[in-house]
Amino acid sequence: MKRAELDFARPRALQAAGPPERRGLERDEVRLLVSTGSTGRGHEHARFRDLPRFLAPGTLLVVNDSATLPASLPARHPSLGPLVANVSTRYGDGLYLVELRRSAAEPGPLPVEIGDGLDIAGLPARLIAPHPGLPRLWFVRVESDLRRAMERTGAPIRYGYLETPYPPIEAYQTLFARTPGSAEMPSAGRPFTPRVVDALRAGGIGIAGLTLHAGVSSHELEADDVEDQILYAEPFAVPERTAEAVTAARREGRPVIAAGTTVVRALESAWDGERVRAAAGFTRLLVHPGRPVRSVDGLLTGLHDPLASHLAMLYAIAPRELVREGYAEAVREKYLWHEFGDSHLLLPGPKSAG
Amino acid sequence: MNRTALITGGSQGLGRAVAGFLAAQGYGLLITARGEEDLDAAARELRRHGGPVTALAGDVADPAHRGRLADAARELGRLDVLFNNASTLGVTPLPPLAGYPLDALEQAFRVNVAAPIALVQEVLPLLEASGGLVVNVSSDAALGGYPGWGGYGLTKAALDLASLTLANELGGRGIGVVAVDPGDLRTRMHQDAFPGEDISDRPLPEVTLPFWAWLLEQPRAAVTGRRYRAQADRWEVNV
Repeated sequence: MKRAELDFARPRALQAAGPPERRGLERDEVRLLVSTGSTGRGHEHARFRDLPRFLAPGTLLVVNDSATLPASLPARHPSLGPLVANVSTRYGDGLYLVELRRSAAEPGPLPVEIGDGLDIAGLPARLIAPHPGLPRLWFVRVESDLRRAMERTGAPIRYGYLETPYPPIEAYQTLFARTPGSAEMPSAGRPFTPRVVDALRAGGIGIAGLTLHAGVSSHELEADDVEDQILYAEPFAVPERTAEAVTAARREGRPVIAAGTTVVRALESAWDGERVRAAAGFTRLLVHPGRPVRSVDGLLTGLHDPLASHLAMLYAIAPRELVREGYAEAVREKYLWHEFGDSHLLLPGPKSAG
Repeated sequence: MNRTALITGGSQGLGRAVAGFLAAQGYGLLITARGEEDLDAAARELRRHGGPVTALAGDVADPAHRGRLADAARELGRLDVLFNNASTLGVTPLPPLAGYPLDALEQAFRVNVAAPIALVQEVLPLLEASGGLVVNVSSDAALGGYPGWGGYGLTKAALDLASLTLANELGGRGIGVVAVDPGDLRTRMHQDAFPGEDISDRPLPEVTLPFWAWLLEQPRAAVTGRRYRAQADRWEVNV
């Protein structure tokens, strides 16, 4: 797939500058675009709380239980001065992958070098190596636990489009958040509320969890061929009971819907060629149309920016026309992009054999 | 005390890239390679990171040299990582197995199989004391059955089995053992396997650094017995 195929015009105004609560909406009152492939229904406009209406009884919804960390820390470099250190991924005690930038609105890469010492949230740190192919990200050694520093002085990672006052970390936690570790909110889960979950359960829809700790969003495609894009790895864990629930649903012909691109990534990373099994580790799997998705039948997600690698995943799950029409519809109907924006349910319908 | 690593084939290519990555993290290093000049140059560069670097030139197939390496490791006081990376392609250009000179095949087994096992034997108490990890560098040639790669591939298949067996034997002592296929890399060894060919499309060894960052931080029990591909899109732990 070519990078250019993932480009489209998204008017600048169509982005959520803050949580829907600031716009007078409940979390589950954001809009829901439902793109249905096989039945000819096309694209329907609804509210997120109407979600249960669009899922057949017996559907298994898989959610990400990763909780979001206040992963943005103040930093200081001896020659560059004050910086922002967005902690993307914890590799081990004192080893992290970190994105350094001058400010929320000014991405790197910065003119730093291997061996440079710097101060992150008051702790001495050292630059170990740039991430191959992604020079904005550095491996950093800190002889201390950055989690504690986050609790003390961290803020949610944010970008230039957010309005002040900036949302507190609580605004970034989903109903399913159990396991802290994401640098950025697994945002597909954000609109879920207890009443939506109750209605789903009442409608005979199962919910199973897994964990994928999302790193900083630097997934804009740069390679001309989507397949050549370099991604950094993210921690994931698919527990046995979730693997079994997915396997049972597939065996019985019940739909499996991923709530979020992170869920697709984790499930596909746990796919052994025949089924999803329990698995854990790090994954940098890029889901694209050249690599068919086997574990899920549909995707509940936000709206993704032009050239985002997640768009390639959408094309791997649904026919191109359905995605393209859906996005045209979302632009026309002024849906809101980004982590606090509106939702999109892609239900491509039964796949043709093979 | 800082963590330490013994890296064979540490002057160039993959071994040199991993050595730099570990030195930057404050590991004490013990590196070896046959060519003294390259090894000393590597050691000088690695010392710039500020940590201790011991460089001993020699052949890992030579028992006396292995004894010196073990002595040096004991002097460092601990050993967290044994990185068995030194390896020979055997005869180049790569001859078909049906015509492979047998003395050269035996020599390849001495370097690629017996030497890594012998080093494990030599430093076992140190590895046990620090809950160490043995990394045996393998190759897709161990599985592929590629024409011409039989001699080298045989040694790597044997090393894979040695890794798994050692993992099963040593797991109870807190030592991890993994085999890692680093994938095709732009190194002198890879060039030697493809004489005269342009290998500039292969990535530099640094492409594998995220994998090493991940692997070396894992609890040993989570990874022991596994065979990894460093350039794969996922690295799994034992569940």
